Amino acid sequence: MESFKHIIDTISNPTILFTSTLIIFFFIFPINDWFDKWNRRLKLYVLWSKKSMLLAAILMAAFFLFGLTDPDFRSIVLKPDNVPISGLIFLVYFFTWLSMHQAYENDARLERGESIDERYEAPNDKVLVWPDLVYIEFISLILCSAFLLVWSIGLQAPIEEPANPTESPNPAKAPWYFLGLQEMLVYFDPWMAGVVLPSLIIVGLIAIPYIDNEPAGSGYYSFKNRKLSIALFMFGWLVLWDMLIIVGTVLRGPNWNFFGPFEYWDIHKLEALTNINLSEFIYIKWMNTGLPNNILLREIWGIFLLLGYFLILPPLLARTMCKKIYERLGSFKYSIFIVLILIALTLPIKMYLRWMFNMKYIISIPEYFFNF
Amino acid sequence: MTDLEIKKSATKDPGRRPPAALGKADSVDQITRRSFFSWLSIGWLAFIAATGGFFTMMLRFFFPNVLFEPVQTFRAGFPEDYTIGEVDLRWKDKYGVWIVRNEEGIYALSTTCTHLGCTPNWLISEQKFKCPCHGSGFFKTGINFEGPAPRPLERYKIILADDGQVIVDKTKKFQQEKGQWGDPEAFMKV
Amino acid sequence: MLEKFRETQFYKSIFRGGGVPKSRRQRMMVVLNSVFLHLHPVRLPKHAVKLKFTWCMGGLSFFIFLILTISGILLMFYYRPTIEYAYTDIIDLAEQVPFGIMREVHRWGAHAMVITVWLHMFRVFMTGSYKPPREFNWAVGVILLLLTLLLSFTGYLLPWDQLAIWAITVGSNMARATPFFGHEGPGAALLAIGDINFITMGSDARFALIGGRFMGEAALLRFYVLHCIGLPFIIMIFMAVHFWRIRKDGGISTPV
Repeated sequence: MESFKHIIDTISNPTILFTSTLIIFFFIFPINDWFDKWNRRLKLYVLWSKKSMLLAAILMAAFFLFGLTDPDFRSIVLKPDNVPISGLIFLVYFFTWLSMHQAYENDARLERGESIDERYEAPNDKVLVWPDLVYIEFISLILCSAFLLVWSIGLQAPIEEPANPTESPNPAKAPWYFLGLQEMLVYFDPWMAGVVLPSLIIVGLIAIPYIDNEPAGSGYYSFKNRKLSIALFMFGWLVLWDMLIIVGTVLRGPNWNFFGPFEYWDIHKLEALTNINLSEFIYIKWMNTGLPNNILLREIWGIFLLLGYFLILPPLLARTMCKKIYERLGSFKYSIFIVLILIALTLPIKMYLRWMFNMKYIISIPEYFFNF
Repeated sequence: MTDLEIKKSATKDPGRRPPAALGKADSVDQITRRSFFSWLSIGWLAFIAATGGFFTMMLRFFFPNVLFEPVQTFRAGFPEDYTIGEVDLRWKDKYGVWIVRNEEGIYALSTTCTHLGCTPNWLISEQKFKCPCHGSGFFKTGINFEGPAPRPLERYKIILADDGQVIVDKTKKFQQEKGQWGDPEAFMKV
Repeated sequence: MLEKFRETQFYKSIFRGGGVPKSRRQRMMVVLNSVFLHLHPVRLPKHAVKLKFTWCMGGLSFFIFLILTISGILLMFYYRPTIEYAYTDIIDLAEQVPFGIMREVHRWGAHAMVITVWLHMFRVFMTGSYKPPREFNWAVGVILLLLTLLLSFTGYLLPWDQLAIWAITVGSNMARATPFFGHEGPGAALLAIGDINFITMGSDARFALIGGRFMGEAALLRFYVLHCIGLPFIIMIFMAVHFWRIRKDGGISTPV
């Protein structure tokens, strides 16, 4: 048992956890035909069968039950404000399965030339709201109220010590739905992680229907014709949002250090966190000259790197990997699309730079509060 | 406001017409097609100005002229009260200031982490300030060396009053990365 | 007895049509005549009533919003948004008030609403229901998601305990770093004439949010007003548009 806990703690290391997720992810949600070919060859789509769902649900429940025997795991999971997250893990899994299950089923039916459930012939296939819809709503409202009442009676809402502006709790966490944002704060300066990136998430979500505006695949669950958009959305939603929330809740402990789910939250755990900027890498480590006094000269490499990333990469991609997308979207929509994607990708890139090289900022101009 | 005045006076006095309407003004007194459009645009401009003014005032509403906040300047006793080489915690809870004395003099450090404003703890055994929120660490001087904090802790204005007491003024702060720590008010020589 | 009551002038004045709707025509009239049921169309494609397709998450989000409104109003009878009383009022709510689970209903309901709104968005994405002609309603939905999170966030401060104040301290300090409008954000120094800075600790975005240079009385009051009146008012407007546009954009999405 102890060795099992130890294995879990080890693979909870962010680098291992994130790398393995990244590798597996696009085979499970194939982003293009190449991944799709491998998905079929490895038969990964069996994940969306009913048997797999049952098996996974049992495994997850078993893991939770097993975890509850461990005092450290228990103290995290049973913290009142963390209960919704445990629920969220199951719900997100179940609904991801439910949608993908129906998507593959619909795709298979359409391939065989059969009709799908959502297909209807107006007006013959219409049903009346009273009573068909009204009673479903009525029942779900009753179930929902009952559920909330039981939850409220069974679990007291948390209240801690009275507020004390001079004593920060350790660790100090935001509400759970913002823990993804708080995780970004470790890798980005607050103006990026707290202001620019959240705004871009909103903008990006709103932009979805204007970029992916093909009428095919509207109104029913499907995957075959929408591989790219579904895979990208899933990546943002499952990996960059839900997974970061879970990491922030379960794996972040005192002093914001990483802890395995079965690891004791030791306040004195020491981690070398001496982070350095790109300019210090170049001038001090490689050139041995010391930082130049001129700010522009000091940060020029980072600026070049960033300009290259946002100005040279998009046209390059348009000619190579994203050629089809470019042809379909046209240059205007393509630029918006690719810039949003590239900005989203800065998050995993900066995470890796931090974990592997202790890299702090690519451009660091604290004099003007500009760090990137 | 001014647009409205122009509009009012213009209706009374036919000589003061908007520029676009001037061409035909002398002979024709009734509203022509062209003058109608220029009146319309003035009307719209006035409307936009009034709305803009209103929203500016509404925004300004959120910034009161007087703040009922604790006094930002306090007397911190005599320089002899502070031991050389120690971080003094006595004003931390009340004013959010650490007072540090070294061989040369005294400086006042802000207890606000430059990352997201948590309050770091002084760890005497490790001789560093450690922030519990995101793990930023600072040396005794206030220089950041670990974690996500982008810049050093801020120092407050510290001077000697006529009666020999130390006065800390939190309204004026000095930032190392701007080269302000060299300011005579940022560091009190003893 | 019941049948007789249904024949009275009083009953008929309230429920037009009278009696349990049995015929097709009566059932349609029930929906058309009721202001509440009228949110729905009279008839729907058959897949639109299947839980497997809809997951019912949008409806539940709205229902939980109603629960939160009611429980929130009840909480307001006891809660005073001042540093002196806020914390003790919360304690009293649990200990001195009969049926003292209102705070639990409100807090867990808020968590549940965040989850249902997420899952609703997820369902709409997976069925491709954001595609034309529903682009605008998707955008309204994204705003509603944002407002839900903001409502939850502003409510987090109100108990005025350690959990609350530090979550909000960290959250509101991000506003310090707003480009141009935060006094520690990039570009703030550009908005200055000579030595006079326009964006200072007393005039930036964070100040507007918490009403002071430090977390205190003003922040509590501002968050309270935003949480109880400001944001609910805005979210209701957007909800009205959202529901209206579902109908106007052709009801629930169907395969082309």
